[in-house]
Amino acid sequence: MDVKAVLRHRWVQALIVLVVWVVTATALKGVQTQELSTSTDSPFTAVMRDLAASIRGNRTESFLFVYVFNPIRTVISGFIEIFMGFIAVPADGNLIPVLGWFGTLVLIGFIVYATSTLRMAFFSMFLMLLCGMLGMWLLTMETLAMTIGAVVLSLVIALPLGVWAGLNDRVMKVLRPWLDLAQVLPTLVYLAPLALVFLIGIASATIATMIYAIPICIRITAHAIKSLKQGPIEAAESAGSTRWQVLTKVQLPMAKSTIILAVNQTTLAALSFVVIAALIGAPGLGKPVVEALTIRDVGDGVVAGLAVVLLAVMLDRATSAAVSRDQSGYAAADAAKVRRRIGLAIFGVLTIIAIYLSRYLLVFAVFPERLDFKEPVAEAANAVSDWITDNLGFLTVTGSEQFTIFVLNPLQDVLANSPWWLTLTAITLLAFILAGRAVGILTFVLLVLVMATGLWNDTMLTLAMTLIATGFVVIIGIVLGVWAGRSARVDRFLRPFLDAGQTMPAFVYLVPVLALFGPTRFAAIVLGVVYAAPVVIRIVADGIRKVPKESVEAAVSAGSTNLQVITKVQLPVARRSILLGVNQGLIFVLAVVVIGGFVGAGGLGYLVIVGQSKPELAGKGLAAGIAIVLLGIILDRIAQGRPQKSPQGRH
Amino acid sequence: MKRVGKGAGLVVALAAASLALAACGGSVNEASSSSAAPEPAESSAAPADSSAAPAPADCGSWGVAMHAWVGYTASAQVLSDVAREKLGCDITQTTLDEAGVTYDAMEAGSVDVIIEDWGGGRWQEWVDRGAIVEVGLNGNVGLIGMYVPQWMCDEYPDITDGTKLNEYADLFKTPESGDKGAWLEGPPGYTTIGEKLIEANGLNFKIINTGSEAALIEAFTKGNDNKEAVLGYFYEPQNFLAKVPLCRINFPANDWTDAAKASGLTDYPETPLVKLATVKLMDSGSPFATLVQNFEWTNEDQNQVALDIESGMTPEEAAKKWIDANPDKVAAWLEGTGAS
Repeated sequence: MDVKAVLRHRWVQALIVLVVWVVTATALKGVQTQELSTSTDSPFTAVMRDLAASIRGNRTESFLFVYVFNPIRTVISGFIEIFMGFIAVPADGNLIPVLGWFGTLVLIGFIVYATSTLRMAFFSMFLMLLCGMLGMWLLTMETLAMTIGAVVLSLVIALPLGVWAGLNDRVMKVLRPWLDLAQVLPTLVYLAPLALVFLIGIASATIATMIYAIPICIRITAHAIKSLKQGPIEAAESAGSTRWQVLTKVQLPMAKSTIILAVNQTTLAALSFVVIAALIGAPGLGKPVVEALTIRDVGDGVVAGLAVVLLAVMLDRATSAAVSRDQSGYAAADAAKVRRRIGLAIFGVLTIIAIYLSRYLLVFAVFPERLDFKEPVAEAANAVSDWITDNLGFLTVTGSEQFTIFVLNPLQDVLANSPWWLTLTAITLLAFILAGRAVGILTFVLLVLVMATGLWNDTMLTLAMTLIATGFVVIIGIVLGVWAGRSARVDRFLRPFLDAGQTMPAFVYLVPVLALFGPTRFAAIVLGVVYAAPVVIRIVADGIRKVPKESVEAAVSAGSTNLQVITKVQLPVARRSILLGVNQGLIFVLAVVVIGGFVGAGGLGYLVIVGQSKPELAGKGLAAGIAIVLLGIILDRIAQGRPQKSPQGRH
Repeated sequence: MKRVGKGAGLVVALAAASLALAACGGSVNEASSSSAAPEPAESSAAPADSSAAPAPADCGSWGVAMHAWVGYTASAQVLSDVAREKLGCDITQTTLDEAGVTYDAMEAGSVDVIIEDWGGGRWQEWVDRGAIVEVGLNGNVGLIGMYVPQWMCDEYPDITDGTKLNEYADLFKTPESGDKGAWLEGPPGYTTIGEKLIEANGLNFKIINTGSEAALIEAFTKGNDNKEAVLGYFYEPQNFLAKVPLCRINFPANDWTDAAKASGLTDYPETPLVKLATVKLMDSGSPFATLVQNFEWTNEDQNQVALDIESGMTPEEAAKKWIDANPDKVAAWLEGTGAS
């Protein structure tokens, strides 16, 4: 075979780079690793530290704060507090908010009925009742109020921008880099800067939630407008409609169900943020989850986590039911319309009665303790977690130790414990080979910036954990994804687990993972895998399902075995979905591996956390946030491979 | 389209109706603050009944910071309950991270009191800006240190001598620490000088940043149950020590207070724990300011309440038990407030 031809193949080139890299790194282990002890500042982190101190010092006097930031803070917290006061937080000296629990419950049912169906209304009320029975009524309402407030604010900003970007490509071009950035930005990163400017509290938490939710909403809305059929629009234009008329009379109504989907996704994004937001003072269900970590009470955290999941299911089903009703609604017969109107009127009257009762009768005002089953649920969760620790501990500890010695430590030696210039060169070369020249140059520039932050070593530690966790995620994702994609039964079985895995905040399983694996990097890797696997499984299964039936049937009739069908037909055809899955998995893993700083994994995540609680290390925390962003962009770009766009929004 | 419009209209009408209802008098809210109404026995989330308590001077509404460790919960709960019941204050408890986060909240005005701070002056920046004042000591004495499970001290008696720790470094090796011993450092926010101790004493250990107190407790519990070697950061007063016996490693004594200025050659000092409050509270003339000023109790007092909380009482129950059992101490705190 021609040696030159072989050398031109990019996988061969990549392999050569890897081999040279590993050999050199082994020879130069421990040389110029740029390791920096936690309490030492690099020149850059020192600058950031002084910057943080000066911001803290100026918050009461500087023009920018007095006339810009502080008013924003006041307005946003005031806005959220209106919702809070209505359903969640009693005014000073009061026993209940404006509405007692029963009134709120029936009102939720009424709103869901008005926007979707009666069945969904009862289902929503049932789920909310369960939250109350978990002893979480007021906390659930705090979270609901905050989510609604944040979603309203997000929509006010994102819907117009999304529509504009959908109509005008130039606007989209300006917005796209920001949307892409927001997509790779781990949530933990922007908490510290926000808290610095807007202080700990509802305002910071709301703004953080908005930063997370707005890009998702803009993306879907713009997509909804852009992908409309041109026929009716052109017809309206040629009939002499103004642009405004075309937009309001044709485009918006046509895009309506996708826009409701945007509302749905924005709501879920905002809700999935509640626990992280609790780190900077968001009220509600996030609090017990975060506290569970500090005081090591698995039970309370799990109960609150369950309530988050129930609330997520409620909001998800109610908003998606609104989409499907919207799509089928027009065909309804007149009789059905009349019936529905009567139903709404009756439900409305019942709601008013319920609200009245909830304000005047104690049973309907304060959630009755008799219905509170928090204790048994918490105890059961504790018992399960203890049982796992006691009985599976030996397995997990030995397994994780072997893995750390034979896989994680060697990888970390190559990435982090070798000279920084070697790692920098090797990663840049790999980016060139695998993702092309543009990405290669970008990677080089970003790595030099990482170096400039002075946190090179910590960044490489985080990279090592991220790569390994992604490896696991991809293996699990492809195996289970293919399985679920091929069998509807497996899919049905997996679905509830995937749903729960995607909505259950990562913090909830922090403590059990900690109990199983101790304060180790492996614990952080497990966290990343648990969090990211559902998404990858979903994307892969979706890709497999979309493989044309004919090609599978052709292969089967040609006598292929199952394995052959999978490897020769389904996987190659679904290649794009799988690549997308890898990319998403990588970004999800990075977001959570950072949280691993809470369980002894060190690296950038720990610096972010410690920077937030120790003022003298604030600079390192902020710099670590920047390094995470840089790392996220690098990983995202390399994983996308040869230029292509990922249509899927981060959940 | 049309129908959704109707639905929205109905929602608006309903919201208007409920607002109108809200404006009517006589709800459970009014009932709860009128003395003639029956006691709301079932309510678990009921805030303090403001009109039932004697109000010697107008106390006002104040925020007490809550930190995660049980000892802190004990102190803060007792303080809050005395303020509510004896002074008729409206107290909001806010759970926050230690140090910077809480100082910021105090500067922003959402929290007024930290009843137990271990920080040795790290609040200076906020004092300089006129947001926070030190209000003296709370009577508790904290001791941070490096600990091992008790069985290790029984087996290796001289391990408690910090300068001989290197002889045992091999015992503490884990895959995380490589060829050095693992040194489990305290959670973020807690005062730590592990890096300095290791460097100054030339110890063959590697820092593992545990990230949370839960991680330390897991590690010590496991080390005690399975007789595994664990060296980690811990502190007293902490009632965990009553459940899992730990033994402290001693370095030469020292009296530094600001961790930033510690040389690393010497041990953590005994730290008298400090009360911090906002200038706003201390200048207000509220009896709550006097109570915060007077609040003082011993490690033993705190441990009693903390142990009750850990053994299943709610913080409120545990605080009430202690308050009822120690009327003379409570009376001393109330001196100068006009209440008894």
